[in-house]
Amino acid sequence: MNDEQSFPPGLSDLPLGSDQHDLRCRCGSLVRVASGLCASCLLRRGLESSEAASEDFDAFLASVDVPDRDWRLGQYRILEEIGRGGMGVIYRARHIPSQRVVALKRVLNYHGDSQETLVRFQREARAAASLDHPNILPIYDVGATEDRLPFFTMKFATGGSLLGATKAFRDSPRRAAKLISSVAFAVGHAHEQGILHRDLKPGNILLDARGEPLVSDFGLAKWLEAGSDLTRTLTVFGTPGYIAPEQADGTTANLTPATDVYSLGAILFELLAGRPPFLGEHALAVLRQAAENDPPKLRSIVPKISRDLETICARCLQREPELRYASAAALAEDLERWLEGRPITARPISIPARVYRWARRSPALAGALAICLAGAGVLAGRQVQNWKLQKEVRKSELAKNSVTILPFLDLDTASAQPRWTENFAKEFGKALSAIGPARVEASANATELKAATREFKTRSALFGTRRQVGNKTRLSIQLLTPDGDLLFQHVVDLSNPAELTRSVAPALFQLISASDWSASIAANRDPGLRNEQAREFLAAGRELTFHYRVSDFERAIHCFEKALLLEPHSALGHAYLASSAAAHTHYLADPSLLTYAQREAEEASRLAPNSGDVLRVLAGVNYQRGLFRAALEDGLRSVETGAPDGKSAALLGMVYEDIGRPDQALRWFELAKRFDARAGEYECHIGDCWTSLGDDAKARMAYRRSIDLHPERSQGWISTARLDLLSADFASARSLSRELRSHDPEDLEGTRLAAQIEFFSRNFDEAQKLYAALEQKDPDGGGSFYGGIGYKSALGRLTDNAARKVILLQECLGKEFAQLGLAPDNPDVLYRISAVESSLGKTEPALEHLQSAIKAGWTDYRSLSLDPRFDPIADNVRFQAILGKLKLRVEELSKATKWVSNE
Amino acid sequence: MKSEPGDRDTLQRSRFKTTHWTIVLSSAKTSDAPEIARKAQTELCRAYWRPVFATICRNGHSVADAQDLTQDFFVMLLNGSLLSLADPSRGRFRSLLCAALQNFLSDKRRAAFRKTDRGRMRYVPWDDWIAEAPSQLSIYGRELQNSSPERIFDVRWAATIAEQALQRLSEECERRGRLRMFTALSKFLSGERVDTSYPSLSASLGVSETTLKRVLHQMRVRYRAILREEVARTVSNPAEIDDEIRYLCAALASEQ
Repeated sequence: MNDEQSFPPGLSDLPLGSDQHDLRCRCGSLVRVASGLCASCLLRRGLESSEAASEDFDAFLASVDVPDRDWRLGQYRILEEIGRGGMGVIYRARHIPSQRVVALKRVLNYHGDSQETLVRFQREARAAASLDHPNILPIYDVGATEDRLPFFTMKFATGGSLLGATKAFRDSPRRAAKLISSVAFAVGHAHEQGILHRDLKPGNILLDARGEPLVSDFGLAKWLEAGSDLTRTLTVFGTPGYIAPEQADGTTANLTPATDVYSLGAILFELLAGRPPFLGEHALAVLRQAAENDPPKLRSIVPKISRDLETICARCLQREPELRYASAAALAEDLERWLEGRPITARPISIPARVYRWARRSPALAGALAICLAGAGVLAGRQVQNWKLQKEVRKSELAKNSVTILPFLDLDTASAQPRWTENFAKEFGKALSAIGPARVEASANATELKAATREFKTRSALFGTRRQVGNKTRLSIQLLTPDGDLLFQHVVDLSNPAELTRSVAPALFQLISASDWSASIAANRDPGLRNEQAREFLAAGRELTFHYRVSDFERAIHCFEKALLLEPHSALGHAYLASSAAAHTHYLADPSLLTYAQREAEEASRLAPNSGDVLRVLAGVNYQRGLFRAALEDGLRSVETGAPDGKSAALLGMVYEDIGRPDQALRWFELAKRFDARAGEYECHIGDCWTSLGDDAKARMAYRRSIDLHPERSQGWISTARLDLLSADFASARSLSRELRSHDPEDLEGTRLAAQIEFFSRNFDEAQKLYAALEQKDPDGGGSFYGGIGYKSALGRLTDNAARKVILLQECLGKEFAQLGLAPDNPDVLYRISAVESSLGKTEPALEHLQSAIKAGWTDYRSLSLDPRFDPIADNVRFQAILGKLKLRVEELSKATKWVSNE
Repeated sequence: MKSEPGDRDTLQRSRFKTTHWTIVLSSAKTSDAPEIARKAQTELCRAYWRPVFATICRNGHSVADAQDLTQDFFVMLLNGSLLSLADPSRGRFRSLLCAALQNFLSDKRRAAFRKTDRGRMRYVPWDDWIAEAPSQLSIYGRELQNSSPERIFDVRWAATIAEQALQRLSEECERRGRLRMFTALSKFLSGERVDTSYPSLSASLGVSETTLKRVLHQMRVRYRAILREEVARTVSNPAEIDDEIRYLCAALASEQ
C-alpha cells in the first residue's frame, strides 16, 4: 500500500529527497507550474497595475515576424521538444486533423541520400507498428518529411519513462517483479512476431497514467542511436549496462531473444539494487566488464532481496545466451511464479553449468581433461547409472504419488469414523495401485491437514464425509494440498457407499500423480487472492472481524468493500463482506445490513456455488436471519465441499443449539476443537451447550477454561455471569457484571447482561434506567439471540404508564410478527412474541406461541421462569405444565449426552 | 478527445472562457445546444481535475481509486447533484468546489456502492488530459504529507489557475503560428531571473531586440488579462478578483 500512495510518475510531485534549493523561488514559494515557472510570481502578475492593452493581442501576434516555420512536420504541429538522443529528437506534437496529442520521434543525422535505407527504415518501423499488445507503446504513423528525414509517431506516454522512476521500485521487489513481468510478456509477444528489441533499457520503458509499462522503440533503436558506419564499429547498438555481451561483439548475426532477456535481467537488477549490474568509468569499460565478468550477486548489494529473485536475475544475466531463459515469456512466467509464491524454475547456477562455461572458454584444455576422466570408467558407470536411475525414479514416483487419508466424518453424528477411514484407505490404495505406483496412508487421529501430511510425508490429503439423505448415503470426497488448496471435489448420493472408491480412483490417480498443480490451483484461486492489493484488504478485514467489536466490524466491511472495488468477482470478498455485515447485526439491529449481507452472500454463491468458504458464509447469514433449517443444510454442504475446518463445525454447533439440540451442538463444537488448533476458541460455546442441558458444573468448567486461556475476552466472564443469573444467584451475577463493566463500560454484551440481571432480579428501577440507555442507542435492539431481551419489550413491561405500555408492546409485537414472517421456525422470535403477548395480558396467544417456540427448539426453561414478562401468566396451569414438560425434555437430552464425558 | 477539426472547436471553447463556472454548469442541464454544453463540461474537468485528484489522493486513496473517484466526482458535479448543495450565485467557485468535494468524500459509503456504475461512466480521459498539459506541479512530497486536504486543494487550485492562464496564452500563440515564440519567451513571464540573454534570444529567433522586448511586454499584458479572466470566472463579482488572487498567493506563500 505504501508505495501505491505515492503519485505515479506522470502525476507526481517531486520525490521526498529532492533538493529544495533548486526549487524555491526568490519570492519564497516552493510551487512551480509548467516549464518551471513560479506559480506565485505568475499569479502576482494579475495584481499589477492595470494597463489597457495598447492593441489587440491577436493582431499584434500576426504583426510580429517570428513564425513557427519548421514547427510543422507533415500533418503534425510540434508543441515542444521533450527529449533528444544520439541521433533522434522527440517532440510532443499535435496531429492536426484529429487534434490528438502524440509523441513524434524524428531521425536527425540520418543519411537521407539513400532511397534504399529510407525504405528499410519504413519497413522496420511498420513492422514495429504492427505489434499490438497492451504493454507495447503503439506506433500510429510512419512517414518522412519534405526533406526526407524519416519520423514516426506514437502514443504519448503520460507517465514519463522508467528512467526517472527506478527509485520508486527500490523497496518494493514485488512491484519491480510485476513490472518486469509485464514488460517481459510484451517483449515475448514481439519475439513471437520475429521482432527483437535490441535496446531494452529504463529509458525505453515508458509508463502510462496508471504506471503500467509501455515498451517503446521496438527494433528501431539502431535508427535512433547509431552513428556512421565508422562509429558503428566502435560503439554498438544498444546501451552499455543493459546490452548482452554477444551484442557488444558488434555482430548482429547471432542475436536471439536471449539478447533481450539479458537486458530485461539488467533492468530488473537495477530496479532491485538501485544500480545496473556493471559500472565503469566509460561505456567501453562497462562493456568489457559485462563481457569478461559475472555480474555481482544481487544479495551482495541488497541482502534482504529474496534468493529466488537473485536467481532469476542471475539466470537472465548469464554470459552464455544458452544458459539464460530461452524466451522473454519464460522469464515472465518465472516472475509470475515468484509473485504467486510458487517455486520458480530457475536454479542457482550448478556445477555442470560452471564446467560447461569453463569449457567454452578453454576448449582445448577442457577437452583433454574430459578424455582423461571419461576413458576408464565409462562402461561400468553406465550400468550402475541405469540401475540406480530406475530405483530413484520409483522412489520419487512414490514420494510424488502419495496421499494421506484424513479421518472421514459422519455428519449425522458429527463424529470421526476411524474404521471407515481405514477401510477406505485400504480399498483406495488397491484401486490406485491397479493404475500406477501410489502410496496411501490412513491417519486415524490427526485431523489437522498440514500436520497429517507432514507426519506421513505425503504430497496431498483426502478428506471425506457421509450422511443419510432419504434412503441413500450422501458421500463427499475432497483432495487437498497440505496448504488446504482444493484439487478435487466430488459429492454423490449412493445406495452402496462401497462404490465410491472405484468410481473416483482414476480421476484421483491422475491428479495425485500430476507433477505440478500450480496451474489448477491458480485457476481455482479466488480472484481476490490473486490480486495482491485486494488480498491485503481481505486479510485486514478478516483480522478485524475476529475482534468482535461493532466498530471493527464496520472497518472490516469497509476493507472488504475496498477489496471488491479492486476485484468485483472475488467470491471470497463478497462472502466475507456478507459475513461481517451479518455479524454486525448481532450487535446492532439493522435490517438493511442484513439485507446487504444476504445480497452479498447470494452474489458470492453465484460466483462460486461449490466453495466451502462461501457455503459457510451462506449458512452464517441464514443463521443470522433466523432461517436455521437453511443454515443447517448450507453448513453441512460447506463441510462436504471444503477442507475440514473448525469454523464450519462451530457454525453447525450454533445452529443445532438454536434449534433445540444442545446435545448435537456439543458434538459439533468438540469436532471444531479437533479441527482448529487455536486453544480456547470454542470453550464458551461448549459451556453454553452444558448450560442449556442443565449441567452447570460442566458449563462452569468450560467457561473457566475460556477465561484461563483468553482472560482478555469478555465472553467467558459474561457467560459465567449469565449462568449465575439463570441459577438465580443474582448477587454473584451482579458482582461479576459490575467488575466486567468497570473494565469496559462500553462492552455492549456486558451492558445488556447488567440490564437483564436487574430485570430478572426484579430490581425494576435500575433495570428501567439501563434499558432506557440501551434503547436510546439502538431502538430496535436487544432481542435477537439466546433469549436476549428486546429493550422496548422490557421497557414496556416496566413502565407504569398503561397507555405507553400498550404503545411500546404493540410496536414490539408488530416488529416481531414481521420477523416471524421472514423466519417462521425461529424459536427465538416465537419466544419473544409469547413474552410480549404475556406482558400485554393476552394469555391464550402467549401460551400458543410459547408452545410453538418449544416445538421449534426453545430449551431455556430457566429464563422462562425468571423472565418478569411472563409474570401475568406465571400462575396459569397451562404455563406450569409447559414449563414442566420442557424441563423433562431437557433432562432427556442431557441423558442422551453422556457419550461426551465417556469418550 | 476532440473529434472536430481545429478552428470551430477552438471557437466554441473560447465562448466559455469568460462565463462564470456556476452559470456554465447550471445552463448545462437546460442548454438547447447539448453539444456546446458537453464541451463546456469537458473543459471544466480538463481545467480543474488536478486539485480534485490531489485532494482525493491526500485523503488516503490509492492512485487508481483516486482516478476513479475524481471521475465520479465530476460526473456527480455535472449531474448537478453536488452544486445544489451550495448557492451558486454567491461565493467563490473554488470554495464551492472544495466543499462539494469534501462532501463527496465524506459520503464514503455512497462512493463504495457506486462501484457498479463506475465502469459505464468513464468520463475523464486521463491520458488525453495529461497529454494536453503534461507539465507537472513541483511541490515537495514532504509538504504534501503534512498539509490538510483543504490546503492541498488551495495550493493545487492556485497553481492550476496560473497554469491554465499560461495554457490559454500558449494556445493563442499556437493559433497564430507563434508557438515557438511563446516557448522561447514564456520563461520571462514570471519575472524571475532567466539564464538566456536578450541578444542570444533575438539572434536565435531572428528578430531585433527591440521587437523582442515589445513582444515580451505584450505577452505580459495579455497574460495578466487572461489570468484575471480565469479568476473572474470563479468569483461572483469582478470586485473580488484582486482578493481572490491575493488569497491564492497567500496559499502558495505559506507553503514553506
